[in-house]
Amino acid sequence: MTLEELRDRMKAARVEIAENRLEVVRRLLTDALRPIHAMDSRAHRTLEPAVTFDTGRSRGDHGQ
Amino acid sequence: MASEELFYATIRDIGSRLRRRAISPVELTRAHLERIEQLDPKLHAFVTVTADRALADAKAAETALGRGDISSPLLGIPLGYKDIYATRGILTTGGSALLANWIPDEDSTCVARLQRAGAVMLGKLITHEFAFGIQFPGHRYLAARNPWDLQRMPGGSSSGSGAALAAGMAFGALGSDTGGSIRGPASLCGIAGLKPTYGRCSRSGVLTLSWTLDHTGPMARTVEDCAYLLQALAGYDATDPASSREPVPDYVAPLGRGVRGLRVGVPREYFFEGIDPEVEKGFEQALATLRQLGASVEDVQIPSIQSAGAFMAIMLTEAFAYHERDLREHPELFGEMLRERLLAGGLITGSEYVQAQRLRSRLQADMNTVLRRVDVLATPTSPKPAPTFTAVYDPEYGFPRGNTGPFNMTGLPSLAVPCGFTAEGLPISIQLTGRAFDETTVLRVGHTYEQATDWHKRHPAL
Repeated sequence: MTLEELRDRMKAARVEIAENRLEVVRRLLTDALRPIHAMDSRAHRTLEPAVTFDTGRSRGDHGQ
Repeated sequence: MASEELFYATIRDIGSRLRRRAISPVELTRAHLERIEQLDPKLHAFVTVTADRALADAKAAETALGRGDISSPLLGIPLGYKDIYATRGILTTGGSALLANWIPDEDSTCVARLQRAGAVMLGKLITHEFAFGIQFPGHRYLAARNPWDLQRMPGGSSSGSGAALAAGMAFGALGSDTGGSIRGPASLCGIAGLKPTYGRCSRSGVLTLSWTLDHTGPMARTVEDCAYLLQALAGYDATDPASSREPVPDYVAPLGRGVRGLRVGVPREYFFEGIDPEVEKGFEQALATLRQLGASVEDVQIPSIQSAGAFMAIMLTEAFAYHERDLREHPELFGEMLRERLLAGGLITGSEYVQAQRLRSRLQADMNTVLRRVDVLATPTSPKPAPTFTAVYDPEYGFPRGNTGPFNMTGLPSLAVPCGFTAEGLPISIQLTGRAFDETTVLRVGHTYEQATDWHKRHPAL
C-alpha cells in the first residue's frame, strides 16, 4: 500500500490520522492485508466466510 | 508479612491448607492485601484493590469452611480480575478514560462463576487500553511492569494479570485473549495461561475488542491451577451468542496421565521467523524433555499458515466497528496509539474483511487436518523475551507479529507454559495447542512437562 492509497482510503472512510504517523499505519495495514492481496479468490473452492467450531470433526482418539 | 512460600503456593496446596484449617481465608486474604500494598506501587498491576470486598468474601469462605463445605477447590482462594470484566458495583475501566467512572450493574459471567465457586476478589487488574493500546507515559493509567525486570513490559493486554501472578499477589487471574493477550503475558512473566476453545468460556459482560477473535480464560502460576480455574469457568452461557453447549469434562483428574504415546507436531514455518536464539534453544530443550517423557515429536506442515497474518485485518476491522461512534465523538478520550490502531481498522474495505475470513476458514481446515495426525501442536509462545519500555515507546516500534494470533483465528485451545530463562533472567515459554474443545489433552501435556521441570518454581526477586 502506498501513502497515496492510504490517503485515498482515509478520505473515503472520513478518517483522520496525523501526517507523522501515516508511515506506521501504512506498514500496519500493508502487513495485515498482504495475505489477502496475495489471495486469488478464484483459485479456491467456495468457502463460507463464517468460521464454525465443530467439535465432532476435529476430535481424535485422545480427546478426553 | 507472611512468607514467600505462602504467596507462591499452588491452588491445590493452599486449598488443602484452608480445608485443614491450617490457615484461614481471612488471614490469607489479609496477607495478600498487605503484599499488594507493599509491591504494587512499583508494579502497577492493580487498578482497583477491593479490600473490603475481599475481606467479606474471605469471611464468607471461612463460614462455609466452618460448616464443613469443601465442595469447591476455589473456596477462599484470592484472585484478581482483568479490568475488562464487568464487576457489579465495582469500577470497571477497561484501562480507558472513556470508562473512568463506569460501575456495572452486573458481574460478567466469568466473574460470577468464580465468585460462586467461593473465590475471594482481591481487585481489578490493569489491562492495556480496551485490551489493545499500550499505556504510554502520560496515559490516565500507569502501565504494569514486569516483575522479572521492572524496565520491561509484562506483555499484554492482560498485563496486570501477568504481573500480579509473577509477583505472588494472587493465586489466579482472569485474562482475555484476542491475539495472545493471555498467552503473551504468561510467556513474558513466566507463568501459565490458557486460551480455551472459542465458545468454551463466556465473554458475556467482558468488553469487546473483536467479536470473532475474543476469548476469555484463566491465568495462574501452574497448569494445574489453570485447570482448577477452567473447571469453574467453562460451560454454556445463554447470554454469550458464541457460547458452546459442548459438555464440560473433568479438567483436573486426567492431568496425571502423562504424555507417553501422545504425538506432538511442530510447525516450523512462520513460528520461527525472527526468533531470538535463546528462545529457540529453550523451546528445543522443551521438545527434548517431551520426547524423554514418552511423547513422539515430529515436524508438521500447515500449508496456509502464512495467511495467519490476515488475523490483524479481522481484528482491526471488528475493533473499529465496535468503537467507531466513540472514536468519532470523543477521539480525545482514546490514547493516541490506540486511536491510531483503531482508525486503521476503518480503512480496511468490506471485501478485504470477507477475504480475511475466507483465509481464516482455510487455515482452520488445514490446522484441523494436521491435528488429526498429531494430538497437539508445539511452538514458542513469544518469539522474543519481554521488550523494554524504551523499545516499545519508540514511535517506530509498530505492532510485531506474534505466534499466538493463528490460534485465535482457528479458535483452538492454546496454553502457554514456562520453558526456561534467557541469560538475562527473562522467562521463555512453550505454546501447546490442541483440537477444538480438547483442553484436557493440552493441559495434560503442559502439566506433564511442567512437573518434569522447575521453571515454574522460580520467582522474581522483588
